[in-house]
Order: sequence, then structure tokens, then C-alpha cells
Amino acid sequence: MPEPVVVLIEDEPQIRRFLRATLTGQGYRLFEATTGTDGLVEVGSRQPDVVILDLGLPDMDGLEVIRRLREWSAVPIVVLSARGQEGDKVQALDAGADDYVSKPFGAGELLARLRVALRHTAGATHEDGEATFAVGDLRVDLLRRHVSLGGAEVHLTPIEYKLLTTLVRHAGRVVTHQQLLREVWGPVHTDQAHYVRVYMAHLRHKLEAEPARPRYLLTEPGVGYRLAVD
Amino acid sequence: MSEEQPGSPPERRGPAWLRAGYAQALGAVALATGVSRLLFTLVSPPNLVMTYFVAVTAIAAKYGRGPSVVAALASVAAFDFFFVAPHFTFAVADTEYVLTFAVMLAVGLVIGNLTVRVRRQREAAEGRERRTAALYAMSRELAQAGAADELVAIAARHIGDVFAAEVSVALGADPGPEEAGTIHLPLLGQRSPLGVVRVCPRRERQALATPEARRQLETFVNQTALALERARLADEAREARLRAETERLRSSLLTSVSHDLRTPLAAITGAATTMLEGGARLDPATRLELLESIRDEADRLNRLVQNLLEMTRLESGALRLRRDWHPLEEVVGAALGRLAKRLGARRVAVSLPPDLPLVAIDDVLIEQVLLNLLENAVKYTPADSRIRILATATDRKVTVEIADCGPGLPPGEEERVFEKFHRATVDGRGGAGLGLAICRGIVEAHGGRIWAQNLPEGGVAFLFTLPLAEPPATPPADA
Repeated sequence: MPEPVVVLIEDEPQIRRFLRATLTGQGYRLFEATTGTDGLVEVGSRQPDVVILDLGLPDMDGLEVIRRLREWSAVPIVVLSARGQEGDKVQALDAGADDYVSKPFGAGELLARLRVALRHTAGATHEDGEATFAVGDLRVDLLRRHVSLGGAEVHLTPIEYKLLTTLVRHAGRVVTHQQLLREVWGPVHTDQAHYVRVYMAHLRHKLEAEPARPRYLLTEPGVGYRLAVD
Repeated sequence: MSEEQPGSPPERRGPAWLRAGYAQALGAVALATGVSRLLFTLVSPPNLVMTYFVAVTAIAAKYGRGPSVVAALASVAAFDFFFVAPHFTFAVADTEYVLTFAVMLAVGLVIGNLTVRVRRQREAAEGRERRTAALYAMSRELAQAGAADELVAIAARHIGDVFAAEVSVALGADPGPEEAGTIHLPLLGQRSPLGVVRVCPRRERQALATPEARRQLETFVNQTALALERARLADEAREARLRAETERLRSSLLTSVSHDLRTPLAAITGAATTMLEGGARLDPATRLELLESIRDEADRLNRLVQNLLEMTRLESGALRLRRDWHPLEEVVGAALGRLAKRLGARRVAVSLPPDLPLVAIDDVLIEQVLLNLLENAVKYTPADSRIRILATATDRKVTVEIADCGPGLPPGEEERVFEKFHRATVDGRGGAGLGLAICRGIVEAHGGRIWAQNLPEGGVAFLFTLPLAEPPATPPADA
């Protein structure tokens, strides 16, 4: 696989400096833009494998950048945002961003998000590629609709199964309540976020050794859920 | 209070009353004449005069001066007519009786006058007593009230009742224009006028014209002024206390924040420059240690800034709860996940009843509460000790408890630890003293309560409640 190409849209020089060191050190080809306008041009010309976008840009709203990018590109977008602005993150994700990292973040966290984003672009989605997903003791066989934990089959209700497979499709990425509601219950129930929470609790009680200290089905308060991939 | 104005003379009771008085005066004289007639054969005429004096005294006592004068005159006439020869004429045979008549009239008038005066004094005394009682009642009510508008309302009501007047009170230096028919009395404070009382008698203005009534009205007004002055001083004292408190908080904020910001910054600067200058001479273990210290201190700075922001949001009222229905287990799980690294080897026992209902909370904020409480437990307990998280529910609320096995709180600190910038210890382990204050702010914003208690077996438990409400419709069941 050739060096993955990253476009970084960020106006803070300190953050760019740190990311330049980290990403080039990890074998990424990095192109930088300091404004939303430049960023859009850069994405158009470089055709990157992933975009890192700061939500607080001087010239335009980060949400606007996401919407414009999504008009013509499916490139994965990882958003940088401050903690405490969960509402912004949800908006960015629902507008088409793939994932987010809260500032301040460690290099490890960002690299993990980028790896997940690249894996999803590589076309190895579990829908058509591999038919099984495995993490720890949990195995989900999408062809046979079979879920097992440490080799023992786990019986899930249709909704629980649908919820789990939706998370599997986005494995490693955060999925908002809205996305889950839409994909599992359909577009009618999108104001019933507690449906998701109640069924997620059911799933945890079936799949987690300690439901109050989940290993696989992680909660991102105020944003959504993430299925662990390692 | 009766319609009768206390202490007002009987002449003011109205013309009907006075007419009745004159009729009664004539009636009393007729009665005296009848009695004298019966006694006529037994008693000599000059002594019969005494029965008339009884009548005059009675009329004076009941109806006052006018009717008593009429009674005195009628007595002389009746005595002359019925008992002085020649009888049944006003002619007088014996001129000696002219002296009797004169003395009779004079004594009758004097008795009448004296009786009226005694009665008025009694009535005035009663009136004074009533007003004193009313003044006392007003003072007592004023003493119980606090706010200026309450005081004003109480004073207006009492003065209006006692003096049968419409009373309004205008506070402030500018009393407004004087109105005709209204008495303006200033409310005088020690330093400046506090306002003015406007008294408009419901009946004629004369009612308040007597110096005594006026004096008493002033007493009421002065009492009101005293109460207002007291309220103002209390307000000022409270404001001064608040200012002093704010000042104290501001200075402890500066001390605490500057210390807490500088310590990690010093560590980061130190570690980074050591690595830059020491270069290759540092052994790998030292380099790793320096790098870890940079990371940990930056983490600490981040938490401090986060807490300061959170506190500012709470204090400025900018905190908006984004409530939704959440299983408590999920929020506990998120907090434990975020804290996994810092919890290290500590065993965390979570015990949540399986039938715990959904709670209407802002999950981000309640996670923050759990994080702060857990971080506290981590900070003050040995690295291998146990932490317990429990929840219990009643119909009305869920109580969440986070207990550690550390040294517990020093006695008397259970309440104070929730104060801003208060640290239970001085050994430098504490942060800025904001974590628990933030917890309290968030829990109270949710309508709950938070408190701490030392455990008999050692350690401390922090407990908070979250109110329960009717949960939303459960999702449709699937097979």
C-alpha cells in the first residue's frame, strides 16, 4: 500500500507542527491548509485518503466545510473539536464526518482513528468483504447471522442483532444516536434516542462480562457509541 | 375597628345622635319632675332640686355639653312651674326662689361641664390605649418583615386602620407633589429622608387636626421610618458581606489557579528543556520518565482548565441541561472507561440494581460528576485499594454512592469540601478545590442533592440523588 495521503485543515500553527511531526513520522503524506477555502481546494487537488478537519476555522464554519465536501467526495473526515462541545461533534457527524478526536488528544488516539477511517475507505467493509467481525471473545458472523462469545452462541432479538450489525459496519468509528435510530428503527423514530440506550443496555447485558465496565460496546456521552476494534 | 373614631368627642357623633340627646334631656327632666311629684309631700321643695341634678348629671355623662345645658335650663323651668308657688305658672311668689333658681342653674351647668370633661378624658385615655396597642401591633409586624415593600404595606395598612384614612407610602428622596386634603409626613432616616407617608382622612380633615392625633400619627410614621432604616442597614450589611465574600473568592481563585497552573507548567518546561539540552546523554529510562511527566502534567493542566470552564459556566448561569433518558449503568460505564488508565490496579465494584429505571439527566454532566468523584477517590487512596459504586432507587429518586477505603475526611469537613477552592488537605495532592463544587452545582441543577459521609469502617462515601420522573414509553418489544 502506498503512503496514505492526508489533508489537514487547521489554523493553529502549534497543532499543525505537532501533527506534521507525528503523521510524517508514521508514514503519511501530509498536505496542510489553514482555511476552509484552501482546504476544499487542497482536497480537490490532492485526492487524499483521509481529511483531518478542525471545526474552528477562521473563514468558515467547519460544518460548512463538511457539507461542501460531501457534495462531491466520500473521503473519510476526522474532526478535531474541544471537549465540552458534544453538540458540535454530533452536528459534524450527522453532517457527514466519520469520526472525531477531542482536543487535547494524544498521538495514539488520532492514529487509531485514522487507521479505522482508512480501513473503511479501503473497501474492506464488512458488508461485502469479510463476512465476520471479531474482537476479543466476540465474533459476529454476518453471513450466518450468528453471534458468539468465547465460542458460545448468544441469542439476540432481531433489533439487538440489527443494532449490533450496524455498529459492526462502522466498527471502530463513533455512531450517533440519530444514525443508529435511522438505520435500526427507520426514519420515523429519530426523536426516540432512549430506544437506542435501552437496547444497547440489553446488548451489553448479553455480550459484556461487566455491563457497567464495557469492553466492546463503548459509550461516548453526548455523542453516541463506538464498537471497540482492539 | 368600629365606625366610631376613637377619642373623638360626642358632638362629632352626628346630628341624629345630638337630636336624641336633646330629646333625652327633656325626657330626663320630665322623669325628675315625676319623681319629685311623688316626693312632694315628704320633702321640702328646695331639696327636690337634687332629683334634677341627678337628671342633669346623667345627661351630661351620656350626651355631653349641649344636652346638659338644655337639661339644666329645663330643670329650672320645670321646678318653677311645678313646685314653686303659685304652682303651674312660671310666676314666682317668693323672690327668695330667684336665688334658688340661679344656684340651681349654676350648679347644673357646672356639674354638666365637669361630667363632660371627665368623660372626655376617659375617652381620650381609651383612644390612646387603643392606638398604643395598634402601634405595638404594627411594630411587631414590622419587626417580622424584612423587605422594604413589605414594611411599607404593613405601615400603610395599620395607619389607615387606626386613623380611618387612605394611606400611601412613597419611598425615595423625591416625595412628589403635595395633594390637597392630604397630610404629608416625611419618613426620616438617620442620614437622609427615606420617603414620605401620605395620609388622606376618609372623612373630614378635622379628624387629624388635633395636636394629639397628629402627634400619634407622627409616632406611627417614625416607627415605620425606624423599621425601613433597619431594613436598609441590614441590606447594606448583607451586600458588604457578599462583596467581601466575592473578594475572598477572587483572591483565592488567583492564588489557587496561579499555583495550579504554574506547577504543571514548570514540570513540563523543566522536562522538555532537560531533554533538549541533555540530548543523547540521557539514558532511555530517564527520557521515558521525562516524557511521561510531560504527558501527565499536561493532562493535569487540561483537567484544571476544564474544571475552571465548568465552574464558570455553572456560575454564570450559562449551563443548559440537555436532559434525556439514560440508563445510569451506561453513564457509569463511560466514566469508568475514561478513567481506566488512572484507576490503575484499583478494584472497582459496581453494584447497580438490574431494575433501575431510566433517569432524565444530562449524561455529559453526570459523567463529569462521576469522574470528579472517582478522581477524588483515586487521589486520596492507596493505589491498590477498593472503590465501590452503588445505586439504590425509591419511587422518587435514585441515590448513587461512591465509597473509597481511604483516610476519610477530617471531622467537620463533610460540608465544607463542596465549597469552591476549599481543600480538605494541604499536602499538595488536592487540585484547585473545584471538583466537588462543580459536582454540587451539576447535581443541584438536576434537582438532586450531594453530600459526604465518613464510613464507620474507614473511608468516605460521596452520595448524590437524582429525582425520578415518569419514564417515557418503552420501545416496542421485539421477539
